[in-house]
Amino acid sequence: MPMLEKSTELQKKFWEIFDKQDRSKIDEFKVFMDKFAVNFNLYKDGNFIEQSLPFDVIPRIISKNEFATIEKGLQQRVHALNLFLEDLYTDAKIVKDGIVPQEFVEQASGYLKEFVGFSPSKKIRAHINGIDLVKDSADDQWVILEDNLRVPSGSSYPLSIRDTYRKIYPEFFETLKIEPIKQYPKFIADAMEYVNTGGLNVLLTPGRFNSAYYEHSYLAEKSGALLVRPHELTVVDKKVYFKNYNGKLIQVGAIYRRLDDEFIDPNFFNPESLIGVPGLVESYLAGNVALMNAIGNGVADDKGIYYFVPKMIKYYLGEDPILKNAPTYLPYFEKDRKYVFDNIEKLVIKDVAEAGGYGVLFGHEMTEIQIEDLKTIITANPRRFIAQELIEFYDEQCYLDKELKDRKADFRAYVVAGEDVKVWHCGLTRYALEEGNYLVNSSQGGGFKDTWVMEL
Amino acid sequence: MEKYVTANVATNLYWLGRYLERVAMTLREIAETYDKVIDVDKDAGVKLYRKYDIELSYTNAYDFLNEAIFGDHSANLLTILTNARENAIICRHLLDSEAFGEIIALHALFKDTDNNHLEVDYKCMDHAQSLIGEIWNARSHREHQELSDSFFRIGKIVEEADHRIRHNEDDPVIQSIIQEIDTITERLVHDHKPEQKPMECKADLLNELNSKIDKIIIDRD
Repeated sequence: MPMLEKSTELQKKFWEIFDKQDRSKIDEFKVFMDKFAVNFNLYKDGNFIEQSLPFDVIPRIISKNEFATIEKGLQQRVHALNLFLEDLYTDAKIVKDGIVPQEFVEQASGYLKEFVGFSPSKKIRAHINGIDLVKDSADDQWVILEDNLRVPSGSSYPLSIRDTYRKIYPEFFETLKIEPIKQYPKFIADAMEYVNTGGLNVLLTPGRFNSAYYEHSYLAEKSGALLVRPHELTVVDKKVYFKNYNGKLIQVGAIYRRLDDEFIDPNFFNPESLIGVPGLVESYLAGNVALMNAIGNGVADDKGIYYFVPKMIKYYLGEDPILKNAPTYLPYFEKDRKYVFDNIEKLVIKDVAEAGGYGVLFGHEMTEIQIEDLKTIITANPRRFIAQELIEFYDEQCYLDKELKDRKADFRAYVVAGEDVKVWHCGLTRYALEEGNYLVNSSQGGGFKDTWVMEL
Repeated sequence: MEKYVTANVATNLYWLGRYLERVAMTLREIAETYDKVIDVDKDAGVKLYRKYDIELSYTNAYDFLNEAIFGDHSANLLTILTNARENAIICRHLLDSEAFGEIIALHALFKDTDNNHLEVDYKCMDHAQSLIGEIWNARSHREHQELSDSFFRIGKIVEEADHRIRHNEDDPVIQSIIQEIDTITERLVHDHKPEQKPMECKADLLNELNSKIDKIIIDRD
């Protein structure tokens, strides 16, 4: 059932201006996205398809006061997650102290024991983070759904569309106090400078046929990092070099990499990877180059480890979490498994190995046979799943097919850890294309809208 | 001036310049020939395309436009623009955003015309010419000429030189273009010294052009 947040003064101000605008201009957003190839590419049935993300003109509006709490909560969370990663790969005190079970860590697919004992530049591991939140209609509180600490994407879309918004409908920005957002690439550049081990800053893209190539190119341009494909880097004597057009090699000090661990270096990980840089890991382990984000972060954004993040905050910072997790159960623990089996119809079951909205099962949509099958699978491999209470998060109003419609929407916040932990005063609000659908991921056909942090 | 561009991206910028100039020159020739085909010389299009080793056939002036632009031959403009678009996407981070947008729009103009089986007409041609003009203009509006501009520019003038050499090797403009190429090369390759080699035929001139590019862009792969 659609559920809208109670209208605020800020929203009223938005609608007052929106009602006066020429709505035929909304089509110009699509024209802009096509003209500048603001794309999210897909492979479908073996074909490469360039397409723009569906965009909705009604922004999500968050008050500056409300965002201040989100900001503090995210800073706290990302700080704790960085401490967790550094601890886990060095002393592992949190495991020794029994806060996170050893077995749980070792079974996390993103945990790479080959990297135990290695500490990266400035001991920062999760530099660029995408934290997914929803606002729970039950108590009006923001809830963390997921931490993305490996290669989170999406920031370029609100950045690009905000520029267009200002051109098409300047009155909103002339009249309302909306937080500016252009500083995000500077956050990235500052973080790169901070961890740089001596040399150029580069953004490593798998290449033009990656789904987010537009974003790679955009962020490279705006952050001042050089955009490189893997074959444009080379490793000599455990140092990474940029191959300049004239044949000269220039040392690289920091790499904002946009490819996953398993593909980054065929010498170390998947030998069949054609998109990696041979020798990169050796250089990284020698401390000759910084990688953003660090290798092995997958353990901390594992859906099973997510359960322990509030405990990490308490353990490392001695603080209560400012932002709460969705109520989560681990079938791995017998008590939780019993609860999950007894209440499966009202829970959401997630396969920890999946991402992008895949491997998510809603108990209320499953048949009895499907539930019994799922219970059997969970019993056989309880570590593979988590269960969460279904959060009735708010819908956002969307202007679709020339009328207002309510759609479930989440919010991906971007948090950059360098010398400080900075939260971008914007983010990616993603909405589901169909009414009542809870899956908002771009790979599931979801669209996006701008997010305005505003004050009166 | 930016100092770093990979060989791969430099090559993409270079070919982007070449493809765009090829489209611009071909459109100019098609426009002039179209005018002749109407009522001066019905075979003017056939003669033009023989220079490219292409046997073109058409029934009237409009058909000439369609065959010249979308015909099944190596000078098909949509194919050339698709190549230009690919190059532009790869090096978009170094392109002026307006120039990039116009390249995408130029490709879309021809692609939509082809997809919708619309007849290409003089308006479409004019629109395409003006988009190309805006692309080159957007580049020259930049406050500082950056390294990436040099590769883009050198592609443009190499294409022009190539075209002139193939059509009239005695064209006096060719030498001035080669001088401009040498000037850019000196900027890009610090120890570059232009060599004065005797040029006896088209092949010599074309080989000389290619060797200049090989000196500028060195792909270690």
